[in-house]
Amino acid sequence: MNIKRQFIKSFTLVLLLALVACGGTAPATKAIAKVAPDKIIIGNAIALSGPNAPAAALSQVPSYDLWAADVNAAGGIYVKEFDKKIPVEIKRYDDTSEVGTSVQLVEKLIVEDKVNFILPPWGTAANFAIAPVVSEHKMPTLGCTVSSKQLRADAAKYPSFFGVLNQAAEQGAALVAVAKELGIKTVVVIHNTDLHGLEFDSEVVPQLTAGGINVITDKGYPPGATDLSQLLREAQAAKPDALIAFSYPPETFLMTGQMREIGFNPKMFYATVGIAFPVYRDAIAAKGAAEGVMGAGTWNPLVSADAKAYFDRHVAMFKQEPDRWASAACYASGQILQQAIEAAGTLDPAAVQTAISTGEFKTILGTVKFKDQYNTTYPGNIGQWQNGEFVIIDPGANRQAKPIYPKPNWPAP
Amino acid sequence: MLISTILYERKFALTIIIASIVALAFAPALLAEYTLIKLITILMYTILTVSWTIFSGSTNYISLATAALFGIGVYLSAVLNNSLPLPVIILISGLASFILAFLIGTLTLRLKGVYFILFTLGVTALIRNVVQWWETHFTHTVGRHVPGVGNEIVYGYILAIFSITLLASFFLRHSSIGMALQGIGENDEAAEHIGINVTRIKILTFACSAIFMGAAGAVMASRWRYVDPGIAFDPLLSFLPVLMAIFGGTSRLEGPIIGATIFTLLREFLITKYPYLYMLLMGLSLIAIILYLPGGLVVQAIRWWIWLKIQWAKTKFQWQMLKSRWREEWRPKVSMWLAQWWLRVQWRLGRKR
Amino acid sequence: MMIHNLLDILITGLILGGIYALIAVGLSLQYGVGRVLNIAHGEFIMVGALTTYSLYTVFGVSPLVAIAVITPALFVIGYLLDRTLYNYLRKKSPNADAFSATSLLASFGLLFVVQNLMLLIWGANLKSYSYLNTSVSIFGALYGFNRLLALGVAVGVSIVFYIFIRSTRLGKAIRAAAENPTMAQVMTVNVKQVLAICFGLGAALAGLAGILYSLIFELQPSKGIELTIIAIVVVVFGGLGSITGSLIGGFLLGLVTSIVNFIDPSLSLVAFYLIFILLLLFKPSGILGRQIHAD
Repeated sequence: MNIKRQFIKSFTLVLLLALVACGGTAPATKAIAKVAPDKIIIGNAIALSGPNAPAAALSQVPSYDLWAADVNAAGGIYVKEFDKKIPVEIKRYDDTSEVGTSVQLVEKLIVEDKVNFILPPWGTAANFAIAPVVSEHKMPTLGCTVSSKQLRADAAKYPSFFGVLNQAAEQGAALVAVAKELGIKTVVVIHNTDLHGLEFDSEVVPQLTAGGINVITDKGYPPGATDLSQLLREAQAAKPDALIAFSYPPETFLMTGQMREIGFNPKMFYATVGIAFPVYRDAIAAKGAAEGVMGAGTWNPLVSADAKAYFDRHVAMFKQEPDRWASAACYASGQILQQAIEAAGTLDPAAVQTAISTGEFKTILGTVKFKDQYNTTYPGNIGQWQNGEFVIIDPGANRQAKPIYPKPNWPAP
Repeated sequence: MLISTILYERKFALTIIIASIVALAFAPALLAEYTLIKLITILMYTILTVSWTIFSGSTNYISLATAALFGIGVYLSAVLNNSLPLPVIILISGLASFILAFLIGTLTLRLKGVYFILFTLGVTALIRNVVQWWETHFTHTVGRHVPGVGNEIVYGYILAIFSITLLASFFLRHSSIGMALQGIGENDEAAEHIGINVTRIKILTFACSAIFMGAAGAVMASRWRYVDPGIAFDPLLSFLPVLMAIFGGTSRLEGPIIGATIFTLLREFLITKYPYLYMLLMGLSLIAIILYLPGGLVVQAIRWWIWLKIQWAKTKFQWQMLKSRWREEWRPKVSMWLAQWWLRVQWRLGRKR
Repeated sequence: MMIHNLLDILITGLILGGIYALIAVGLSLQYGVGRVLNIAHGEFIMVGALTTYSLYTVFGVSPLVAIAVITPALFVIGYLLDRTLYNYLRKKSPNADAFSATSLLASFGLLFVVQNLMLLIWGANLKSYSYLNTSVSIFGALYGFNRLLALGVAVGVSIVFYIFIRSTRLGKAIRAAAENPTMAQVMTVNVKQVLAICFGLGAALAGLAGILYSLIFELQPSKGIELTIIAIVVVVFGGLGSITGSLIGGFLLGLVTSIVNFIDPSLSLVAFYLIFILLLLFKPSGILGRQIHAD
């Protein structure tokens, strides 16, 4: 029995030591290093596998990498505190498209790896989840693939989280304005029953009705549906002027294919996510079939010389075009971060956060200024494929070309 | 067996368990912040794996309903977090999971083997879609925000649930119910014949093991902070505990714990050090484990340990054999030969004079 | 109008069912004969689909020709996998239920491996191409040709397989191995070989499903899991191990989805899984009622 008691004591001791060894002890107060780091480490936990990987691989990861390459090509970010240009390095983790993992990895980056800054993951859910975490640690984070009324309404609770991407409110308003301008009287709305579809639905449909447009039917379908033909046939039978869909890329592409199959040619077709993807123009709605399709967005290389330069560099580096919605927002996030660091003159996240919330930034999206932590300017909120480019058709000063109406019939395959 | 009997006969193991829990209680004060976070995740998976093993480990009814039972806790916490304090939510979630598992148990009385597995998989998918539909039609929003409560508080709750799960599993294993479960696992018809009320034990054990899953879910919602039906009822959470349990081995209590710990650490290591190869390396490890560690790591480790001890004993034995041969055979011969040689040398020297 | 609606529901349901059946047929074979619950099945479908995509966009090879390339390749891969991995597990498992469990987990590992390989080779981006996008008019309404093609192939495969199982020697050997492996071995059937061939055929059928899938839907490596779940539901519906059962099960599920879509589209997945659960509770042996194995 004595031996066993000794064993227990030593076991407990060993367990405690193991706990300590595997993670290190809680440190005492750390003095802030005043020595210039060789690199500014920017942590980025993002979906490299799992269902969110395709969207991240199109809109977010390449833009971040391109930004880092551009910064380093110019020698780095100038930090006044050390009076030198410091190059950046992105430290990337795979969050496997899981929200719990996103949260844990962001905490790892901030707390254990002690990165200088972070770039957010992909998607509304993950950004929603990390907003409180980054705010607790006072780490400014610029979300470029997040669209959520709820999150925006709670912005004050998460002072470190900023939204660069345009949101449902602006996009809905632009859509309704264009619809009214074109004299559209009747629409059929379909939406997926995920957060995106539901939010856009609750945001846009009242605006449509208030604008005097008759919403004939408004039906939801589960995300991941394999067949939308019945919904589309029903819409076809109602003979609306426009079909409006709040959908994710798989469903957007599916409905386009099925509309072509059943010969449904509404005079206007608008879907939210996916239309602005280059692959939509090239593959799904092939052989010029994308002509006239409208979608959420948007920016394009015609917006400014900077935008065109970004576009060309993106194509050169990745052999793929950036999408016409979020890609630019993600690149712009990098630019904002850089300019905020330069304005603050230091790598202290709190100072940079203040710089972000109060400053004005020159980006490929134009001048970005945050009002209540959300970006108020965007090159456009609704776009249309015309002659191979997704042009901005918002009413007003941003318009690049008159909307094509009615949309030409889907060409024969 | 009475609890007092177990307490007496398994004093040693029980003390180790209690000592470990006490040691873990000091973790927040001793560990770095991120290590604590890692530990929370490890403990969460351990709770799921140990609870899963309580039922599925012995009876061989592989349940893939873990995601549903855990997810209910996560979702209830997301829905109720504004109206009720966390401890109450934890209790309610445990109860809800109990009821759901009870229902599943009652419905699947006659289902065996692969049909049981598929049923539990289907239940998870069904619940996820029902919740999504409900939210769409009645609340018009999907996705809820859960405020965080601080990592130390989360750790406290998780540690408490972990301790209870561990102790429950321990006592169950060594009690008559535990043996009955094993009997059911081997041959439930025979078990029925001996007089074990198979139905009642199956359902009650399954339902009780679910309580811990639901409770853990309720706590984890505060860490995940954003919950929607897809996130709460993610099927991966059904598969991972099964893999971890099989990795560690289900026949001993340490199996699921070690399996869950190593697995979670391996996963975290791979997604940070090899982010683009994480699935490949994980999958290869899984296949290697299934192929080469039947019975699990713990059992295999014990086998290796025994093999090592046998080798050591063999070596010692051979050494003893050599020594006794030396003593009995060779040393006398050598001494005699040396003595003869010495005498011869003396004689030669003597002759030279 | 009502007739028109009814007809539409029926035809849409059958077409959708054809797609479901095609996805499921490979798994039905793998489980029915080899008792392997291969949850990496969907990954093989995606491999077939992505390979077709590459062959078409990079080399200009028509998907119909690609069938001749992809199906044999996947057959070989499936055959080798069974001979090495699953056969080893089969030997080591004390009974069929234990083998179900270990093969399930090994397949899970395979799922991870194959998905990562797809990510490495093809990247995570969404892919799609247009081929045979014409429409066909049936009773006055238009239906997509590629979906009808999928339906046709599903039916064709089932018929061919039915004949194959009934008439050829190999087919009989497969039936024997499925129903009673020990007896079959006594009757000089090389059970190991037969099981491996079945697994290979299952993988080849998955590839075929992938080729047709790529004509209709857009592709991403993580879609495999969704497809596997559909396949599992269909296979259970039709009776584990019955190929014609999978076809009929697919049709039934397609019809149910179609009807529910007419009533309330957001309920379609709820209905899908509810039927699955109810079937398991009341008739686990499936629609055709056969407990095991080949037709």
